[in-house]
Amino acid sequence: MDDETFLRLKAFFPEVNLGSDDETFFRSLWHPKSFKQYDLITEAGSTERYFYFVLEGVQAIYLLNEKGEKVVLGFSYSGSPSGVFDSFIAQAPAQTFLEALKPSKLLAISHADYLELFKRCPEFHQWGHEFFQNILFGRLSREVELLTLSAEQRYVAFMQRCPEELKTIPQKYLASYLNMKPETFSRLRSNVSY
Amino acid sequence: MARLILTSENQIQRLNGILGKVEKLQQLPLDRLTMSPHEKSWCVAEVLEHLNIAYRLYFDKINHALEQLDAIDSDSKEFKARAWQKMVIEMQRPKNGKRKWKIKTMKRFEPVLEVSSLDQEQVNVVFENFFSLHAHLKDAILQSRGMDVRGIKITSAIGPIVNFYLPEAFEFLLCHLERHLVQIDKVLG
Repeated sequence: MDDETFLRLKAFFPEVNLGSDDETFFRSLWHPKSFKQYDLITEAGSTERYFYFVLEGVQAIYLLNEKGEKVVLGFSYSGSPSGVFDSFIAQAPAQTFLEALKPSKLLAISHADYLELFKRCPEFHQWGHEFFQNILFGRLSREVELLTLSAEQRYVAFMQRCPEELKTIPQKYLASYLNMKPETFSRLRSNVSY
Repeated sequence: MARLILTSENQIQRLNGILGKVEKLQQLPLDRLTMSPHEKSWCVAEVLEHLNIAYRLYFDKINHALEQLDAIDSDSKEFKARAWQKMVIEMQRPKNGKRKWKIKTMKRFEPVLEVSSLDQEQVNVVFENFFSLHAHLKDAILQSRGMDVRGIKITSAIGPIVNFYLPEAFEFLLCHLERHLVQIDKVLG
């Protein structure tokens, strides 16, 4: 990992100040992984092996409904964490897929190394607390949006906050995430400004 | 007749579930894996060996098809199974934990294991073969996601009366696996 990449990774853990030994140890635990467009990074039914930090690309997390259609739960993108967190933490089979929607470069830490990091560097507990708190708040906020906003309001709210690189993925993934038909998404994209 | 829509993601998810279940079977003691409920019934090791035999008959055909198919630059697409193939697939698929159709096993699919003298080493080989063959199946499903699967058909293991496009072949093999996992549940009581 080059210094610039390491700085990007470190910036993802703002609560953590490591001494030089711990920093070397921390750096040694992360390994680069590359995926082609449409590769399955994690498969439903298998156990998530890694916690990822995204360097490049966009990934979608989704499950299959009874008809076999993809129901998108979320995205990850440059600078964000990625992975199937529930499967990673419980080390139990995932119910969701993680797919690279664009060619992707990720940094990965294994479950054993993740636990070792928390053991050796207790500062990560504070990071973990903040991280999972934010995940929880994010999921609650999304639930409220899905249950209370109209399709147009959901579209506007999402487009205002979503990073530019997410706007370039196939529309059907964005439509599914917003719980609307691709045709509805396409109509809103043509007619609604945000 | 309802359509049968196949997706590689659904197939991968089910295959992962099957592999997880067989991994758990591997933890069972030898006597449970080699015990048959009655004389005409197979034991667990024989069922798995039967699945190995069945998959080996597709192994080269799948490889050959994957070599011939053209790559496509899009995400995986749904595949609608054809009517006759759908019927053959549905005959294999268990419903509500039961095997709906009784199908007599052809001689060449029968496992040749001397059950009374099966030892742990031999049973381990059956499991190893199962995992290695079905890792090939998973790899084949993954590879096919990036290919134009309508480019080539393969002949089924029962002969030219049934031919499959790859997604149909994968579905048939998965339903066959699921059917025999139901049988294993019954054997183990």
